[in-house]
Amino acid sequence: MPDFSLSAEQESLRDMARKFARTEMAPHAAECDKAARFPDEIYRKAYELGLMNLNVPTEYGGSGLGVLEQCLIVEELAHACGGMTTSVIANCLALEPIILGGTPEQKERFLTPFCAQYHFASFCLTEPAGGSDAGSLKTRARKDGDHYLLDGEKCFITNAPHASLYTVFATVDPDLRYKGITAFVVPRETEGLTTGKDEEKMGHRASSTSTVRFEGVRVPVVDRLGGEGDGFSIAMRTLDQTRTPIGALATGIAQAALDHAAAYSLKRHSFGKPISEHQAIQIKLANMAQSIHAARLLTWHAAWTIDHGSKGTLESSIAKCFASDAALHVADEAIQTFGGYGYMKEYPVEKLLRDAKLTQIYEGANEIQRTVIARELLRQYA
Amino acid sequence: MEIVVCLKPVPEAETRLRAATDGRALDSEGVKFVLAGYDESALEQALLLKESIAGSRVHAVSYGPGPRTEEVLRAAIALGADLATWVEAPPGTALDPIAAARALAAAITSVPHDLILCGKQAGDDEAGLVPPALGELLSLPEFSSVVDLRWDAGTSRFRFLRSTEEGGERWESSGPCVMGLQQAWNDPRTAKLPNILRSRKATIARRPLEPVPAGPRSESERFELPAPRTGARMIEYKTPAEAAQQLVRLLREEAKVFP
Repeated sequence: MPDFSLSAEQESLRDMARKFARTEMAPHAAECDKAARFPDEIYRKAYELGLMNLNVPTEYGGSGLGVLEQCLIVEELAHACGGMTTSVIANCLALEPIILGGTPEQKERFLTPFCAQYHFASFCLTEPAGGSDAGSLKTRARKDGDHYLLDGEKCFITNAPHASLYTVFATVDPDLRYKGITAFVVPRETEGLTTGKDEEKMGHRASSTSTVRFEGVRVPVVDRLGGEGDGFSIAMRTLDQTRTPIGALATGIAQAALDHAAAYSLKRHSFGKPISEHQAIQIKLANMAQSIHAARLLTWHAAWTIDHGSKGTLESSIAKCFASDAALHVADEAIQTFGGYGYMKEYPVEKLLRDAKLTQIYEGANEIQRTVIARELLRQYA
Repeated sequence: MEIVVCLKPVPEAETRLRAATDGRALDSEGVKFVLAGYDESALEQALLLKESIAGSRVHAVSYGPGPRTEEVLRAAIALGADLATWVEAPPGTALDPIAAARALAAAITSVPHDLILCGKQAGDDEAGLVPPALGELLSLPEFSSVVDLRWDAGTSRFRFLRSTEEGGERWESSGPCVMGLQQAWNDPRTAKLPNILRSRKATIARRPLEPVPAGPRSESERFELPAPRTGARMIEYKTPAEAAQQLVRLLREEAKVFP
């Protein structure tokens, strides 16, 4: 039998994340959502506690956690605020290409000074004309002596306006499709790199998102990760590592929705009794609990698979896809449980629906996850 | 400065409490025990003093059964305690406060101590007996409800306020002494993630419980939850003025608080 119990160490990490989420994040979640405010002071505290560079090995100044430990932390943070969690964990996504594709010298040069201070990094893959179809990206990297010149535009880039480091995917030859994609590390101060205005988003409003433009950005060859054409593989392997925590993020949003709905159902009366005593509400709560339990276990299993040395592409796609669909459904049912109040911004559940929606879209849209799942699945029958 | 801080694992504040089957104690099955309340403040104050006085160490000491007591000590190490001693209570030992003070005192006498900080009372039974009992057992001055604790390096004395019903009393004392802390200078800190990981590997000194000499002991007779509160009455109203009128009428006619 598999052992589903957490170690004392894992429990302590989860407790710490829960405490931070409930005391530092939750009290500001509604206000940051309303004002679309990027709460720098909360993110700084998260950094100081070691919550920001969870996946970076300790030798480079990160927290060096496995994917399961990351998931435990991310679920707790997301219970308080999905948007803040996105900004807190975005460094994991942005730095993973360096962890996977960098030489020891590059890791020392980029990760160590980065992790030693409060910094943001951004993962620049998606472009205005293509997100899921990453193989057709248009940002160009032209070789010029011992440099490359980058030209193009990336969009929907998390934390971009605040980042000091960008991992950028560009093509050395669009005709090569995914075989031309190459990964680079670009510091903010590099001439020709500019970020756009903060996007006005439906949810995750405590997070910041903008375009990143590259106009003749000169990147030394020594700042290329891997060889020319290795970028697509680096990007996909990165997403294999970071997809599962998105499942945990969705699970945290869903758990918050159930917690609100169940507590409300015990207090709200109709037809002479608490609505929790009506079967219509009980069935909702039971279904919500089942979805969350399944989402959490799928997430833990995917994390465990990856921590035990497997790529976990199938497992992490299933976990991310299922958990994000579950989060949307559970948040929807939470609003329904609250009735008219649930639709009001004065109550916390409508935010959860808006925040849950993004988890179906980012880090690989669920349509792409299903394509991946089907591909991996059919391989077993071919 | 050698600062000893005494900690007690208590049920997490959100715990749904139940009586054990014998009806004499809390059913601890599935209950999560944590470092909480005044003890958390005592540890915070110990760490603040350590940070402000060069060459200081904080030694966390706790008495109780495993694994909860060990976990509370690991939490203290993650927060910044340098040393930890666990006085092991055999499982099922009734945790009488005077017996706890005896167990802690025995551990404290064998380590250096310039200041012994406790929370002024535990977050569960709120007995508040351990700090005065420790003072008595160690023959040291004891101060309860301490706030704003400072170390005056010039005179080598502690200066602090005792919070009382009437206001505050300003005191000073040389060490070693025992204090039941009410409030630290600031809110208790959160442990940093790398320190949590390190705390798992830290060594905790384990001390067996010494035979307790005969003496006064307290024993719990019954443990029961308070009856659910009843008697709340909702006032139906259309305007605030109408609500006030009805409230005054009920207070006069039913509660009879007005003539």
